Amino acid sequence: MTAADETTRRPGVRVGSASEFSLFFRVIPGHAEEIRAALTALQRTPGYRPGDYEMAIASIHEARFVLFDDDTRLLFATSFDGSWDAYMEDFAAGPLQLFDAIFQHTDGYAGLPDVSAVKDFILGAQVTAAAYARNYPGTVKELRRANRLREAFDTVLDDPRAEEALGHPALKPLLDEAADA
Amino acid sequence: MTIQQQRALELGDIQSGALRERPAPYVGRYLLLRLGDAEQGRELVRRLHALLVEQDRHGPSDPQAWLTVAFTHAGLAALGVPQSSLDSFPAEFREGMAARAEQLGDVGPSSPEHWEPPLGSDAVHVAVSVLAPDAPSLEAVAERARTRYADLPSVEVVWRQDCYQLSTGRTSFGFKDGIGNPDVEGSGLPLRNRSERPIKTGEFILGYPDETGSVAPMPTPEVLGRNGTFLVFRKLRTDVAAYRRYLRDRARDRDEERLLGAKMVGRWPSGAPLVLAPDTEDRDLGADPSRNNSFGYRDDLRGFKCPAGAHARRANPRDALEDENSVNVRLHRMIRRGTSYGTALPDGVLEDDGQDRGIVFVFAGAHLDRQFEFVKTQWINDGVFIGVPGESDPLVSGAQAPTDFTIPHVPIRRRLRDLPPLVVTRGGEYCFAPGLRALAWLSGLETPQEEP
Ligand code: HEM
Repeated sequence: MTAADETTRRPGVRVGSASEFSLFFRVIPGHAEEIRAALTALQRTPGYRPGDYEMAIASIHEARFVLFDDDTRLLFATSFDGSWDAYMEDFAAGPLQLFDAIFQHTDGYAGLPDVSAVKDFILGAQVTAAAYARNYPGTVKELRRANRLREAFDTVLDDPRAEEALGHPALKPLLDEAADA
Repeated sequence: MTIQQQRALELGDIQSGALRERPAPYVGRYLLLRLGDAEQGRELVRRLHALLVEQDRHGPSDPQAWLTVAFTHAGLAALGVPQSSLDSFPAEFREGMAARAEQLGDVGPSSPEHWEPPLGSDAVHVAVSVLAPDAPSLEAVAERARTRYADLPSVEVVWRQDCYQLSTGRTSFGFKDGIGNPDVEGSGLPLRNRSERPIKTGEFILGYPDETGSVAPMPTPEVLGRNGTFLVFRKLRTDVAAYRRYLRDRARDRDEERLLGAKMVGRWPSGAPLVLAPDTEDRDLGADPSRNNSFGYRDDLRGFKCPAGAHARRANPRDALEDENSVNVRLHRMIRRGTSYGTALPDGVLEDDGQDRGIVFVFAGAHLDRQFEFVKTQWINDGVFIGVPGESDPLVSGAQAPTDFTIPHVPIRRRLRDLPPLVVTRGGEYCFAPGLRALAWLSGLETPQEEP
């Protein structure tokens, strides 16, 4: 799957279930230190601590904030399940507020008083990827389910009776995976 | 626009179709009119306005029939609404339903080229619906409305659909419909769902604060937009025989047939919700309006009672997605006023009899895009939001390809494979139902009163 086979009519390229989403902001002159501090603080919140894997917004695959050009600019890049266009107002009404402490150090941010302010702020910063690809299909939900399954399967394989149990013909597909699971 | 103070809901100015419960039983008629001449069109609006004012005097509890009048974008243009005002409507309304077909999943047999003429064409200007408790009162109101345009030669009836509740009280697939509607702040109707706060008026009626704290985009001038609501109507043909054959094939016995059907809908035929009655039908619950919509999915997040993919749970996941922070369900609600058309396929018949039967789906809300279009595209046609991108609504998606449907069950989930498409879109329109003052304004357009 490549970016090219998906519609690019709306900002954000979609591959399978996920859309990429990249926002470029300008840091208000003199606010470099504050915005770095705000990002460090974000990194310490539950979900953003390395190894947490429980971000507040459940449909997000991953997200990064990058300060660049001597901390004069900020990139926010993420990918999430669904179409940005459909979910814009949902994000505006809730989750984006989580980033208020960061966005307040960027140009053009006047709080997020209402949906049209959010739309203007976000759409003004969004740049559609020129190329985007994913290395696995599926939604965050499916991947979490797949991980649960793998853990369960591992537990089964650790049981000394696993080989005998997986000998049943109905379990052949599982046995085929068992050799190097 | 942020609203500083809460405005009292002007119930008297809002057309009754939106905030009033439909009579049960009911009969209904939908008429589409084409306006050949702006002056006669405005005369029609003047007379319909007088009828609506009269109807309003009877008050909401009066069991007489009621009329709702709405316009397509082409209809507003045909009345001579100024261009600046026409341009001030949201894009999806300006484009109309047919132009959005691909996005909405109206493709293949559901695509506009197969719609009943003149649905989806410029010839549809005015939509008039009449709902009544019985045929005589319907005829009385319809006749009063008819006399309002009979002497206006350029006003032409271009489409008509009669609707009535089947004798079973159910829609064609055999399920009671019209239960799940939001409680609306200020509507004065009894609250039906104790597990959720009423939804803000502005989600359904223009000019009031909505769930985001803003006021939905309103057309200008203000007099035109205030107290209006957008209506969607869609004639949806149902293939009841295919539905029955599918269940007959997959179920071990009749009881399981009923259970699988209920799992697809999220309710039993009586309307009893699966989360409150997981194992068997409960007619008393289905019939009790104080209980049959008072529930959430918090205790059933994994869907053992009601599958996440069931039609009603997709169309309104209630509190099921609360922990996910990606969606605010309150932004995607709708008032539904659908009615059945066609005769029932007799019990036990598994072969199609060639008769056209289904529902005229009617939506009322302030946002065509984030309410109707969102629900249809993100929740009904697609399964990404429940982590099953390959599955669409088992009953109503209208998808061309067969879909799977997963029924969580201990110890082993059941997956129904290859459900055939069961619903075909026969056509539809996006309409705007103005408030009564707005209708008066529309009828007086020869002297456009632009707001300052
Ligand atoms: C032929 C097509 C359809 C049929 C036969 C049908 C039937 C039903 C039935 C039996 C229910 C459960 C009873 C109730 O809660 O009122 C229901 C609920 C609902 N349907 Fe449909 N429906 C159809 C199309 C649609 C479409 C196209 C949409 C939206 C775009 C939709 C939105 C809803 C909503 C919002 C609910 C209420 C969910 C709740 O609040 O719990 N339906 N429908």
